[in-house]
Amino acid sequence: MSVFDWLDARVGLRALKRALLDREVPDRLTWWHTLGSATLTVFVVQVVTGIVLATFYSPSPDHAYSSIEYIQRQVTSGSLLRGIHHWAASAMVILVLAHMIRVFSMGAYKYPREVNWLLGVALFIVVLGFSFTGYLLPWDQKAYWATAVGTSIAGTTPVIGSAVVSILRGGGELGAATLSRFYAFHVLWLPGLLGLVLLLHLALVVKQGIAPRTQALEEGAPPRTDDPAYPGYYRDAYAATKRTGTRFYPDIIGKDAVVSTLVVVLIVLLALKRGAPLEPPADPTDTAYAPTPEWYFLPLYQLLKLVPGSFESLVAVGIPTVLFVVMIALPLFDRRSTRSLAHRPFALVSLTTILVGAGFLLGAAVKEAGPAIPPEVGRPLTSAERAGRALYHSQKCDDCHKIAGLGGKKGPDLTEEGLHHSPAWLHSYIEAPTRFRGDTIEMPTFGPPTLSHQEIEELAQYVSSLRGKAGPNVQPEYHDTFPPVPEVER
Amino acid sequence: MLLDATRRLFLKWFTAVGSLVSGALVGLPALRAFLSPAFRPPAAKRWIKIGEVDQIEQGVPTRFDFAETVSDAWVESRALRGVWIYTDDGKTFTVYNGQCTHLGCSYAFDKGDGRFHCPCHHGLFDLKTGAVLDGPPPRPLDRLETRIEKGILFAAYQTFRAGIPEQTPVA
Repeated sequence: MSVFDWLDARVGLRALKRALLDREVPDRLTWWHTLGSATLTVFVVQVVTGIVLATFYSPSPDHAYSSIEYIQRQVTSGSLLRGIHHWAASAMVILVLAHMIRVFSMGAYKYPREVNWLLGVALFIVVLGFSFTGYLLPWDQKAYWATAVGTSIAGTTPVIGSAVVSILRGGGELGAATLSRFYAFHVLWLPGLLGLVLLLHLALVVKQGIAPRTQALEEGAPPRTDDPAYPGYYRDAYAATKRTGTRFYPDIIGKDAVVSTLVVVLIVLLALKRGAPLEPPADPTDTAYAPTPEWYFLPLYQLLKLVPGSFESLVAVGIPTVLFVVMIALPLFDRRSTRSLAHRPFALVSLTTILVGAGFLLGAAVKEAGPAIPPEVGRPLTSAERAGRALYHSQKCDDCHKIAGLGGKKGPDLTEEGLHHSPAWLHSYIEAPTRFRGDTIEMPTFGPPTLSHQEIEELAQYVSSLRGKAGPNVQPEYHDTFPPVPEVER
Repeated sequence: MLLDATRRLFLKWFTAVGSLVSGALVGLPALRAFLSPAFRPPAAKRWIKIGEVDQIEQGVPTRFDFAETVSDAWVESRALRGVWIYTDDGKTFTVYNGQCTHLGCSYAFDKGDGRFHCPCHHGLFDLKTGAVLDGPPPRPLDRLETRIEKGILFAAYQTFRAGIPEQTPVA
């Protein structure tokens, strides 16, 4: 007796195999039908990498950042794992959205799959919850400020706003309680919730079968799904697609495996090549940091820039709320039996408008890309350097100078300026560039009264902290030459 | 139908190979990271300065405590360490790690009977050789490497795993 038989006699493996793998599925399923299983695969990737990352992570503001650095530098394969977790998070959002668009376009949320659509919407919300809570955990600048802004936006909700923001932050301010809370949500609450809803979602897929191509359910269909004749029609039409159909294994699973493997390979390649970003540690006193949200929130972020301030909360809270309400109401109110987008002009126009609009806003946001973000110095900036950085932006230095690829092209790139010149030289230069380069230089003079000497010193110290990728441990070799001090300027 | 059979065979193969590839791509780094603490090289010896050779009492062991900065994974902290120094003649020195080889307690010198005595489980060690005289310790006291430079005694501080017969440095 084989192990399989032994187990089968006790737990019914054959019946399970028949129900799950050998089940018949409709004919002519598209490659678009693989998106759901690809999402599932990426979720498994997140669970595996997440568990290992969690074993090395410390959810307290004192240690969160250094534990991430420890993962990046000390743990074998640590930076790769973090990279995979980072890119898979983006992949997850893309795949969930694509899967939803596929289901929407094929009218697969209609009878009898209304409940499964709603479960899917719940899963989408949980995935966004994962992304929002996971973003804070590295406790770097981006994490801190994006969460500060994100929770503040939630705080603009009418009536319940202040309660919401306190609940999210675990107090009035973003801090230790917030980090613990986000961590608990990220690794305890949300995985449990997702697992449960996912199980129901998949159970329904098995019970109801995969939605067939749209034409199979349109020919001779009653015009509305609440027509008493519709369930009978659906049963027959669906059975017909199964008769000419195929088996779940290997036909469907094989296709799923192709797409899932490609997705995993792509994620690992991105992780190897690009890794996961880590900015300097969170600095709550920073006045110049311009946070940008994760890319999938960028359309909303860009939209916020376009509306007048008083409408801000209306847009920030209102638009997502409306979208979710529409998603929830969709299967409950749309009872026409047409499935193909070609026969649903309103659905087609709405979907196109949302996609084009979001794409346009995303493009605009990427193009603007916010003000220059200073490169990693590998340590928190001193208070003088921070003041200098604020001046750098307020004096519009970035109109002409580039730091780490961001800024204008007119003046020299300052990404590694700190390696070449001492703060003292930079101070003199910023104060009066003409003394160094003659009157033809385009760099404006910043000496008093434009800036005070203290401000120039702060600016010089900030520029001196710019050492590109070399980091603060490299001892710069300065070859500064000063022009003779003209007596008239005394 | 032959084409169909080939296609199905390919799909079956791809399902197996694809799952293996995906599993390996993500599973191997995850496993490596998780198991990495077991393969970390042992911590390097740290030479500590103990003191002037002339000042160390002969025939009676001296306890020497010192603090060092240790990085415990991502936490940097100061840790208090201790060693016992013994010399007969002021020329050759024996330095023992201050932790009992049984379970890592700090042991003391019993002036009455001239032996090291660990209060936790009553381990007894010989003063001159560090050998176990009585009690549960699985191995003699851990001796540290020493050197003398310009009349100053140095010892290479290392921590060893407690509770096992072999002297294994802690990673």
